[in-house]
Amino acid sequence: MGIERRIIRTTWRYDGCLEPLYEVEDKEDEILVTFDLPRVRKENVEINTTEDTIEVIARMSDAVCWERWSGIQKRISFQAFRKQIRLPELVDPEKVSASFKNGILRINLPKARKKVFVPIE
Amino acid sequence: MTSTVMGEEVRIVEKEGVKHKNPIVVEGLPDVGLVGTIAASYIVERMGYKEIGYIESDLFPPVMVVHEGESKNPLRIYGDEGVVVVLSEVAIPVGAVYPLTEALADWVKEIDSKLVISMTGLPATNRIDIEKPEVFAVGNSEEALNELKDRQMELLEEGFIAGPYAVMLRECSKRKMSAISLLAQCFPVYPDPGAAASVIESLDKFLKLGIDVKELLEKGEEIKLKARDLMRQTALSAPKMQKGVEQDMPIMYR
Repeated sequence: MGIERRIIRTTWRYDGCLEPLYEVEDKEDEILVTFDLPRVRKENVEINTTEDTIEVIARMSDAVCWERWSGIQKRISFQAFRKQIRLPELVDPEKVSASFKNGILRINLPKARKKVFVPIE
Repeated sequence: MTSTVMGEEVRIVEKEGVKHKNPIVVEGLPDVGLVGTIAASYIVERMGYKEIGYIESDLFPPVMVVHEGESKNPLRIYGDEGVVVVLSEVAIPVGAVYPLTEALADWVKEIDSKLVISMTGLPATNRIDIEKPEVFAVGNSEEALNELKDRQMELLEEGFIAGPYAVMLRECSKRKMSAISLLAQCFPVYPDPGAAASVIESLDKFLKLGIDVKELLEKGEEIKLKARDLMRQTALSAPKMQKGVEQDMPIMYR
């Protein structure tokens, strides 16, 4: 991590995007990723996955405007959440499923590695 | 300001002329779901409580918060004669928990508080499916348990509790003071205004101020947006606070 990144560790960007809160959980056969997306409706969420990444772009129904705040001494508004996460294990992008309820996006990503049954002799 | 030195490490500083009349002290420090912090901030705003002091320590990060051009301590005390609210706008470092709770307990004893109530969350893995979070309570003495039973509060019967509120129960016990914790089912790492609303409704059984949580629920999404950074700080310190133990089964479970 560069020095500037360590000092200016923002969770927002000048392009109007906020970094959402998220959680990644390893659930044996799958990776469960949840995102907290206030002010977002299901139809405005875009999810893109590869074998080892997941990207979420979620447009808010109303932009949020903040003024006179921190290094930003002028009006700034945010219209969307955006986050790309590198996954801890490879997943099968074709089998990913998602649900959205009360502002929480839940994405189930089945792991790519297969389980093999081992008989006991 | 008059300074009340409560030990070497944490100082509780009250404004001059503040009077207390056996107040109920309400503590809402950052923890899971920021339930206590959201609830405490809402109560202060809703009741129009004045800032009556602050808490400082070399154990806290060297951070001040700026509101309307004025620098302030992130840990502040609000209230009136009958109610005192303690809140923080920064996460409490784990190394500061014991000195902070000891200083707070000394101070609430000194101001002759009749009851200390901590508001916090209880992580619920199925929170997404819970419409209205339930609130569970823990008391630190038979007297405190009677207070809870009188108000038909549901008790957290068995388990572990961890964090500033857990230590506060113990520190109050040591000083022979009644203390209770109110824990609302919550999202562990997402700010939870719904849980804060539930905890306020339970708290109001003690305060009897008729605090309406409608506005808190209406502004829930806005609060979640503002609380993102504090939630992130708090979640980072959660493992050091041993928060995971709250999901464990005690060996002497009955």
